[in-house]
Amino acid sequence: MVLFLVASGLSLTLGLMGIVNLAHGVIFILGGFVGLAIAKLTGSFLLAVLAGAAASGVAGLIIERGFLRLLYKQDLPQVLVTFGFIYIITNLMLWICGPTPRSAFVPSYFSGSVVIAGVSFPFHRFTIIGIGVAICAVLWWLQEKTKIGAIIRAGMDNAEMVGGLGINLTPINVGAFFFGSALAGASCIIGAQLFGSVGFGDGMDMLLVAIAVVIVGGVGSVEGSLVGALLIGIIDTFGRVYFPVISQYTMYLVLILVLMFRPSGLLGRKL
Amino acid sequence: MKLQKEYLLRYTPVGVIALLLLTLPLYADLSIVSLITKILIFGLLVMSLDLLVGYTGLMAFGHAAFFGIAGYTVAILGKHYNVTSFWLAAPAGIFMAVFVACIFGLVALRVSGVYFLLITLAMGQLIYGIVHTSVGPLGALTGGSDGLGGVQYPEMFGYAFEAETFYYFSFAACLICCFLLYWITKSPFGYGLQGIRENETRARALGYNTWLYQYIAFVIGGLFAGIAGVLYIYYNGFISPEGVGIGASGFLWLMLIIGGSGTLWGSIIGAAVILVLQYFVGGLTPERWPLILGVCFVGVIMFYRGGILPQLINLWRRVINGRSA
Repeated sequence: MVLFLVASGLSLTLGLMGIVNLAHGVIFILGGFVGLAIAKLTGSFLLAVLAGAAASGVAGLIIERGFLRLLYKQDLPQVLVTFGFIYIITNLMLWICGPTPRSAFVPSYFSGSVVIAGVSFPFHRFTIIGIGVAICAVLWWLQEKTKIGAIIRAGMDNAEMVGGLGINLTPINVGAFFFGSALAGASCIIGAQLFGSVGFGDGMDMLLVAIAVVIVGGVGSVEGSLVGALLIGIIDTFGRVYFPVISQYTMYLVLILVLMFRPSGLLGRKL
Repeated sequence: MKLQKEYLLRYTPVGVIALLLLTLPLYADLSIVSLITKILIFGLLVMSLDLLVGYTGLMAFGHAAFFGIAGYTVAILGKHYNVTSFWLAAPAGIFMAVFVACIFGLVALRVSGVYFLLITLAMGQLIYGIVHTSVGPLGALTGGSDGLGGVQYPEMFGYAFEAETFYYFSFAACLICCFLLYWITKSPFGYGLQGIRENETRARALGYNTWLYQYIAFVIGGLFAGIAGVLYIYYNGFISPEGVGIGASGFLWLMLIIGGSGTLWGSIIGAAVILVLQYFVGGLTPERWPLILGVCFVGVIMFYRGGILPQLINLWRRVINGRSA
């Protein structure tokens, strides 16, 4: 579910704007660091999630408005700019916060565990799943049932035509970028309960996993991200248990296999 | 006669640089010689990337992998199989790089554009994952995250290279590869690649097998990256997963863009700028180096995408013309 949350933000910007945001991973940990700091101060989980989402969203906004906007329709420079931001944001955070990973914040009302069929599951796992399902439903509703969603889907298919019909795509693009980044930030805090802590290496890992999810599932659809996240998540987990030696790259093998036989992803739009 | 003079004048800077490089060990101290060796090796590596990016229009983001594979092959052969002969290890390293490029090319070229970038990035990380694994037989083979070291300067015809002579060796190897690459880009094949870069649909309509062209370019890129990787492992004596992953590939991109993509020789200038910068900044504030790198990255892409080489050529043309006018 955490994978889904991170990947759906990436998928949104990739599908709608054709931008591969390589800084998505650092935006993810940026949200986590800010959110966990707030959590420490206030002790409120909700505030932490909101603060993390806001921090990530603003970072995304700065990158989009300040830089990517000026490179409209130029794939390569856009990717490279976001790559440059990986260095900038990571190093600035390292400078300000120091290299220690932040430990997760599990609110007291999420702690405890549930016993199902003789196996005990920590309670916060269920909350993660619950939040994931809720956000998934909202995203699906937004994209498939509302006017904004219709514009987004139309924009993915043919941005020029949408513009020609008198619809201004700029606010939609900006909103999508902000929203996608904010999702990443929020999911870091929600997911941190599962990982235990958030460190600098996680950003890059998460970026790669998110890319794998988006490609496997298919770009630009909520269902695609969901299927991709489930598939990658399950394969990765089982890989760790049953084939620990190759566990670091089972994910990439799946990715390569999918690309060989279904280049547009399992549930993707046509490339 | 006038034409000849103009020709001479135009290539004076090239001659001056060649002379400076040839006599380098005579006047520079060892750390500078070592730095220039590194620049030459990375210049070659970036040139091989330029063949893909600047000439064919393939956005390969996992190029450091081929470089790393070649280096690792040489290091593994030396460490675990006691194969220290240059004549065995170096071709083996290059062969492995080409072999992997052949396989990766088959997969990656099924998609294009940004997706090609993503899939090459993932494949680069696959290689990174393999060499980064610390457990199991693989970990023992590659040394995991500690990397693999202990490679000495090569020995040839009973002569063991030292830092200075290895500089000449790298210089010669890079020069040969430069001319090979230059020859490739000026061949009908090279023009075919540029046609594909400009307009793939049109190239296909003209009867070019664009897939095959791109595939061959990808493999050639892997080949030259492999050569650079072999040179680097002999130069550095040590290789770690950091030299293989996405960070290394991005580093190459920065050099490529600073030098000017699609200019071939610009790659060496880009490598020189970045490595010299790293050399000095690394001495002053190593902690802030990634920040400076990132700012360079963004700054260059936003404001200076033409690259240095075309501007240098323009400048020199102006100097000549100003003098003759």
